[in-house]
Amino acid sequence: MQNAKDTFYITLRSRLATLNPSRTMSLRAVTRPGILVSEAEAPMAQPLLDAFALSWTGLQADVQLPAILAQMTCEIHYATAGTETNAGLDRGRALEEMDYEVLQLLYPYSAQKMNYTQNPAVAMETMVFWSEPEFGPLVTLRDRLSRAVKVTVFAFQEQGEQ
Amino acid sequence: MSTPATLLPALPPTGRSVRAYFAPVDRIHRVPTLFDPSVNGRFATSAPPAPWIDLGWIEDFTRKSTSKFGELVTGSPGTTQFQVRETVDATVSLRFKAWSKLSMALAAGSQHMNLIVPAAGGAPNGSGCKGVPAVNLTAGSTATFLAMAPSDAAGFAAGSLVSVDVDYVGQTGFVGSAVYAACVSSAGAVNNDPDYIRRVSFNVARVASSSSTGLQLAQPLIAGVPSATMRVQPISGFVDREGGSFFQEWSALFVVDGQQGERVLYHYPRLQSMAGPAEASTALAPPLERIALSAMFRALPVTDVNDGEQVVCFRTFLPSPATLI
Repeated sequence: MQNAKDTFYITLRSRLATLNPSRTMSLRAVTRPGILVSEAEAPMAQPLLDAFALSWTGLQADVQLPAILAQMTCEIHYATAGTETNAGLDRGRALEEMDYEVLQLLYPYSAQKMNYTQNPAVAMETMVFWSEPEFGPLVTLRDRLSRAVKVTVFAFQEQGEQ
Repeated sequence: MSTPATLLPALPPTGRSVRAYFAPVDRIHRVPTLFDPSVNGRFATSAPPAPWIDLGWIEDFTRKSTSKFGELVTGSPGTTQFQVRETVDATVSLRFKAWSKLSMALAAGSQHMNLIVPAAGGAPNGSGCKGVPAVNLTAGSTATFLAMAPSDAAGFAAGSLVSVDVDYVGQTGFVGSAVYAACVSSAGAVNNDPDYIRRVSFNVARVASSSSTGLQLAQPLIAGVPSATMRVQPISGFVDREGGSFFQEWSALFVVDGQQGERVLYHYPRLQSMAGPAEASTALAPPLERIALSAMFRALPVTDVNDGEQVVCFRTFLPSPATLI
């Protein structure tokens, strides 16, 4: 299942780098596309603004198939306070931009499963695929607007896969 | 395992799901594949005895007895004195979770066709047009290796699909190697097409790799070692139809493993399809759906040699070692 999670993240990261190269973040002294996996970073008191944070929550497995079908819930959290230039008055527009980016990052709803523990990464046999996004309500906290989007990611467990 | 000091009374079987196995029937001689639970009742579910083919876990398994009973009433007021069994009949319905050549054919009910890779300029047809020419096998083929000339092998890439069977040369009646896949009424009905048997054959496989000596298959051919008269054609998939005059007939075995070590087996020596192609969807995360193949069968009789009775199904119960019987 880790290969599926890695594939999902790298797919979205690659798409974001193409879609909006200016959405970057600086984390651990490295500037990179503005998307991260929460469980793979140090805990943060406050979420990074203007970046996407992936959190893996639910997990189900259908074991009564020729290959186990894992069904994992990924929540994509993002928040913005708008831009300083506009004194944050554009925070609604900034959130809408991120909403639209989520839609574009997720489409097409599948990707070739890759094993990123090897260098170079190795293509596996099956596809990782996911549901359409389920947008949660907009949450306002002082000057911040945030939202969580739920996506269900599916992957068949291949032979010998951890 | 030692016998518990105090055995429990008989308990209700508690199963999670049903696993299905199918085996060919000799249609010409009406000889099914019989499963003997006294010999193989405890087989490992992932390794059924030959020639049973594992079709995995199924869902919505429902079996119905539709036998009819009559009564002989005498006296006034009338009182039933005797019962008679007027008909013996049973049906089975289920859904196959996985799509494969066999599960699709069983669910389709009628002839199940292989989509032969088309020849250039073929006239369009719903079940596929005239295919590219078949190639010959050479000596040394096995159930998992197709020996052929280097120039022929070069035409098949790793990952491609093949149908391996004899040419149609005017046979009538049941055709197909290992499994009777269709019943030909006349050569004219199938256009005297030399590819017809390969079009319906169950002797299909995926190519794992191709070399100058032949094709290594990723799965064994159901008919085993190919005969010298068999030829190979590339296929791209499968197609079935609503309609057709042929009925698939297979021997079937369904297994339910209980949680206390008990096992229930349902053996239908002769099941014939009794419904056309249909599917059932299960929502995963809308709009994603898992699509299962719906299948329905009528059970046909065999004679139990122990007492000469005509029966259509055998139900076997292998009790848990922890209970009284």
